[in-house]
Amino acid sequence: MIWIAIRMLTGDPQKFFGLVFGIAFSTLLITQQLTIFVNLLERGASGVYNVSSADVWVMDPVSRTTDVAYAMPSTALDKVRGVPGVEWAVPHIRAQASVRTKDGDLEGVAVIGVDDATLIGLPKNMVEGSIDVLSQPDSVIIDDVGTTRMFPGQSPIGERLELNDQRAVIRGIADAVPSFTSTVVLYTKYSQALNYVPGTRNRLSFVLVGAENPAEAKALSEKIEEETGLKAQTREEFARDGVQFIIDNTGIPLNFGITVALGFIVGVAIVGLTFSLFIRDNIKQFGALKAIGVTNGKIRRMVAAQAGLVGLIGYGLGVLGTVGFIQAFSSNPTFKGFYIPWQIPLISAAAVTIILALTGWLALRSVLKTEPASVFR
Amino acid sequence: MALDIRNLSFSRQILPVIAVVGLIFAALYILSGQPDRELSDPDREPPRTPEALADEARVAGSGIVEPSSELVQIGSALSGLVTGLYVQPGDRVSEGQTLFTVDDRAVRAQLREANAAIAEARAAIAEAQSAQATAASQLSLYRNVDDPAAVSRSEVIRAEGEASAAAERLRLARARLDAAQARAGSARTELGRLTVRAPIAGEILAVNIRKGEYVSTMGGGGSQPFIEMGQTQPMHVRIDIDEEQAPRLAMGEPATVSPRGASDQQVQASFVRAEPLVVPKRSLTNSAAERVDVRVLQVIYELPADSVGDDGLFRVGQQVDAYMPAKAGE
Repeated sequence: MIWIAIRMLTGDPQKFFGLVFGIAFSTLLITQQLTIFVNLLERGASGVYNVSSADVWVMDPVSRTTDVAYAMPSTALDKVRGVPGVEWAVPHIRAQASVRTKDGDLEGVAVIGVDDATLIGLPKNMVEGSIDVLSQPDSVIIDDVGTTRMFPGQSPIGERLELNDQRAVIRGIADAVPSFTSTVVLYTKYSQALNYVPGTRNRLSFVLVGAENPAEAKALSEKIEEETGLKAQTREEFARDGVQFIIDNTGIPLNFGITVALGFIVGVAIVGLTFSLFIRDNIKQFGALKAIGVTNGKIRRMVAAQAGLVGLIGYGLGVLGTVGFIQAFSSNPTFKGFYIPWQIPLISAAAVTIILALTGWLALRSVLKTEPASVFR
Repeated sequence: MALDIRNLSFSRQILPVIAVVGLIFAALYILSGQPDRELSDPDREPPRTPEALADEARVAGSGIVEPSSELVQIGSALSGLVTGLYVQPGDRVSEGQTLFTVDDRAVRAQLREANAAIAEARAAIAEAQSAQATAASQLSLYRNVDDPAAVSRSEVIRAEGEASAAAERLRLARARLDAAQARAGSARTELGRLTVRAPIAGEILAVNIRKGEYVSTMGGGGSQPFIEMGQTQPMHVRIDIDEEQAPRLAMGEPATVSPRGASDQQVQASFVRAEPLVVPKRSLTNSAAERVDVRVLQVIYELPADSVGDDGLFRVGQQVDAYMPAKAGE
């Protein structure tokens, strides 16, 4: 009986492909837009995720994200080190600076100063060179996306820059997820960064803390806040702060929300119309089936099978399209680090299910009301 | 439904298979593409809390290694060219040992002048003495003549005047000798001041002058001291503690100290004293216009003898991280 339903469905290729296209298109739209949305938002947290070894970030109480930070006096480091449960703590400076390139261009860069001795605060992996180059004088490490922006089509290794009247030589390329604004990032030692960034009284932006027991980072951050009066956030909290900052300060959630809603509406409209037309065209066949004694329950199952097949194919193609999209653009620096969170295909699956259930239910109402006699009319 | 190659339908069979395979592929791609956000341990050892203080209340600070005498910056009392340099960095000197000498030719010339003046004064004394003797004998000759008519009164007055003038000349010559001797003495003192000596026993840490360079009493070029020295046995560390943390510090307890860059090598340093004056924090930013709003209590600890010296862990001026126990019950 189900097999009859499937044949009925594929009997008219135009309608069948119309249905599949409708589902595939809305899946693609919802999945792809949600993916870009989530990844753009997570750009706000990239500064936190690039530092792989800090359990807790300590900052001035008014600091909000990795880029919106108010500097602390340098003794904050010792205050944090004095809190029980802190295994280690190192200084971390993040500041904006202007760099003059060889051609005389001015470019805004983010200077990140990592602890001199341990280099904690650098991204986990390097594209070129090793982190040891920072021990050479006037060394900086550039991030890979910054390379494409500042030195398109050439290797930046060995390039000289001028930062705050000081010489800086690029000696390595780090593999880092770019920030929301894709600012060029220069990593250097803390003491060097103090020279590269025009001086203000306090310079220390963050204290990176390693917990003795990483599982209790939350409790440790509360303890640090209580004992030092500074603000302490666990890695996850601080990443969320960065995301929240983008949600609060940009139109991204609204824009992408509209696109996702459009995807849903287009899906409902195309699939709903096609499905209704298809069912109406086949109402005689359903009448005939009823006439030979097929129950309403059976018919419901038949329509469900039809919807299921359309959904499976459409959804599969839609997700495949998203994967293809992300894969095709993965080498583009704008999409560096983009990934498809596993929750998103589940969300679009739920959306597809809702679309099909809604349209199927609407179409079925006329079938269920059909008199078996209508076949003779 | 048996699969029959002739009956194979694109819509009913191939498409669902493509969809399922595509879904499996997409699932694998998505799951393998999740970002790596695992926490990792730092590659290099950061300064860790010492075991004993891991769960205890504690105070942390950073500081600088210094000689137990603190850093002595040798100056020069007089300006001039350096003519002799007798120490080099690393030398151990005893108190009073010559460090360097400043050009003394001008002062030696003054000394010779003074010596000549002494000789001259001595000659003048001898001359005055003989004149005095002559005048005295002349006067006594006149006085011994009994016949008043033999010698006129005016002759006697002249002889008396000559005798007293000769005595005055002798006194003058003696005063000249004293003056010349005083000049020679002051020249010798200047000569002594041109030789710069070690004020204490200790180790020469830096020599910033070379033979032939000009030293002025205002300090060297770039405000560098000429010679820096200090007593490096024992060696001290000066730890800065934030004034907010200072009341928590348990005074008298030893500190765990590790040098920057070798944080796995920790030593126990014994308490020496806390400075009575709370000073502004010196941030080592090398900036000329340093502004501070944090004050720090400076506490001094003595490093163990086996961690200092030529092969030791600590050297003067090195930055260190330190952990100290806090007062109980806080």
